[in-house]
Amino acid sequence: MKKWWILLVAFAVWIGLGCILLPPEHAGSAFERRPSHAPTRIVSMAPSLTEILFSLELEENIVGVTQDSDYPPAAAEKRAVGTFWQPNIEAVIALKPDLVVTLDLEQHRNMTDRLTRMGYKCLSLDILTVADLFTAMPVVAAATDRTQQASQVLSNIQTRIATIREATTGRGRVRVLWVVQRDPLRVAGRNTFINEMIELAGGENAIGPTFHVYPPIGGEQVIASAPDVIIEPDMIGGDLAGQRVQALSYWGRYPTVPAVANGRIHVIDGSLVSRLGPRLGEAVEMIAKYLRPEVFGE
Amino acid sequence: MQQFLSPRTLCLRVAVTAVMLVAVMLLCALVGPERISLRTALAGINGSALPNPDYEILVHIRVPRVVLAAIVGAALAAAGVALQALLRNPLADPYILGISSGAGLGATLAIVGGFSWTLWGRSPVAVFAFAGALGTVWLVWVIGRITGKFHVTGLLLAGVVVNAFFSAVIMFLISMARGQQLHATMFWLMGNMAEEDFFVLWIGAGCVMAGVVSLYFLAPQLNAISFNPVDARSMGIHVERVQLLVFIVSAFVTAIAVSLSGLVGFVGLVVPHAVRLMLGPDHRQLLPIASICGAMFLVVADTAARVIVAPAQLPVGVVTAIVGGPFFLVLLVRYNRKVSWLR
Repeated sequence: MKKWWILLVAFAVWIGLGCILLPPEHAGSAFERRPSHAPTRIVSMAPSLTEILFSLELEENIVGVTQDSDYPPAAAEKRAVGTFWQPNIEAVIALKPDLVVTLDLEQHRNMTDRLTRMGYKCLSLDILTVADLFTAMPVVAAATDRTQQASQVLSNIQTRIATIREATTGRGRVRVLWVVQRDPLRVAGRNTFINEMIELAGGENAIGPTFHVYPPIGGEQVIASAPDVIIEPDMIGGDLAGQRVQALSYWGRYPTVPAVANGRIHVIDGSLVSRLGPRLGEAVEMIAKYLRPEVFGE
Repeated sequence: MQQFLSPRTLCLRVAVTAVMLVAVMLLCALVGPERISLRTALAGINGSALPNPDYEILVHIRVPRVVLAAIVGAALAAAGVALQALLRNPLADPYILGISSGAGLGATLAIVGGFSWTLWGRSPVAVFAFAGALGTVWLVWVIGRITGKFHVTGLLLAGVVVNAFFSAVIMFLISMARGQQLHATMFWLMGNMAEEDFFVLWIGAGCVMAGVVSLYFLAPQLNAISFNPVDARSMGIHVERVQLLVFIVSAFVTAIAVSLSGLVGFVGLVVPHAVRLMLGPDHRQLLPIASICGAMFLVVADTAARVIVAPAQLPVGVVTAIVGGPFFLVLLVRYNRKVSWLR
């Protein structure tokens, strides 16, 4: 019995020592380096953030981006700091950044926390909807001293969207089925920014409100939703024409669906429509073109 | 095989493996996706005001991570040894009684729920995983109790059923998660090491060491029980009490490991067997040495996970499974040969 008491006392001493020597709030606090000037060494932790930073004319100040940052082409030449899903914190520190821009998501939270406590300046953004983008842009702009560029980018997006809205008001809404994955079939639901883009482009999600964010659906729902257009964003970055041939043969099994009957099945560039960033206006224009070729077609 | 274990041999062996562990940890702290200079890094300890990435990477990123891997590895290996003895089943591992699915369910709930508070510096994922792990073990224990008075089979079956049920719930939650949540969940379920605060590591290490020492205190009784519970009872051992204690301690230690790192597989299964094959089945020796070896194994595996696909990194569970799977098969074949040869 004695040894158990010794163990208990030793454990209590250990915990007590920890509380005295390493209080949680001080753990890992390095030196403060909060520059008063605009940051000159910026690291972007997501492709959409890279696009935002580039649109603010910060190209020269960006020192690191994630591996999947491929737009604008100059971004691919910057130093890679891991992927969006698996950021490499060592690479971030090695770049001696004075601003790290991250997304407020589970993957980034731990890293952001850690970097902040080590004294690095982090800007964590929550960009899940179009409205979020319009709130986040001024925040980034303020942190990087690029307010004017930000309002230009945003007004450009607004102009493009307004033009489309004018051209589509008074016309019926085109029903769109946005397929994120074919096998098993998964589509974009109502609670996504893709849904917002469809609506901005003058369309309507063929799938009604669902429990899932990206609902998996069966053939029955495909027929019942009766989409006028089926859009498949290409996520692997390959040849769009070849993928369209595959898509046409896949959707051939639902000949009664209007989109299939009229051959309105499109495979589009995924990087443009999967990132909420400065190219939002272009993305909505592109979708609008597929929804109303008679209005926006070349 | 060693027939008799003298305290001197035991101390010597523990000391040798402990020294090896320290050496491995130091070595692994120097390996990483970024090349750092040890001299520059050590110069930063004086606390110069200049930014010193080498020092920061070594002290704030790598050392915490290596220490975390050691803690988790030791915890899982010790729990593995204890549960294999307790359930008298060579396939037992720390997750066999449903801890993994319970912790997984907790973590998934926290990720899908998208909470953002912290409790004593721990994220909601860790807190939910810990609660889920202990809750599940309690549930399995109760079900096991109902099916019979500590029947090992009842416990195992309860574990399997609870595992299956919770896994289904996890799948359901995953199916409705957003893309980024889905990814976070998958990485957690595959064992994801992250850099932790020294305070968290200190407390975690304290709990795990206390757990290993407690199990070591129970090792003589475990020896008797794993041989034959009926004989153990006639030797004057309170079998039920020892079983309950071992069960609680190993569940607690596993829950700590899981809340620190997600579900790292194979360590708790392979390491105890490997050490048992090399040094014999005496739990007084098996417990301390297996936990040190488990720490070593996970430190090396995590270093590989950090380096192989650099600048990205793999979930450590992938590495332990890829290395551990074949290794376990080889051991199994050798073990079977050895047994048939003895016969």
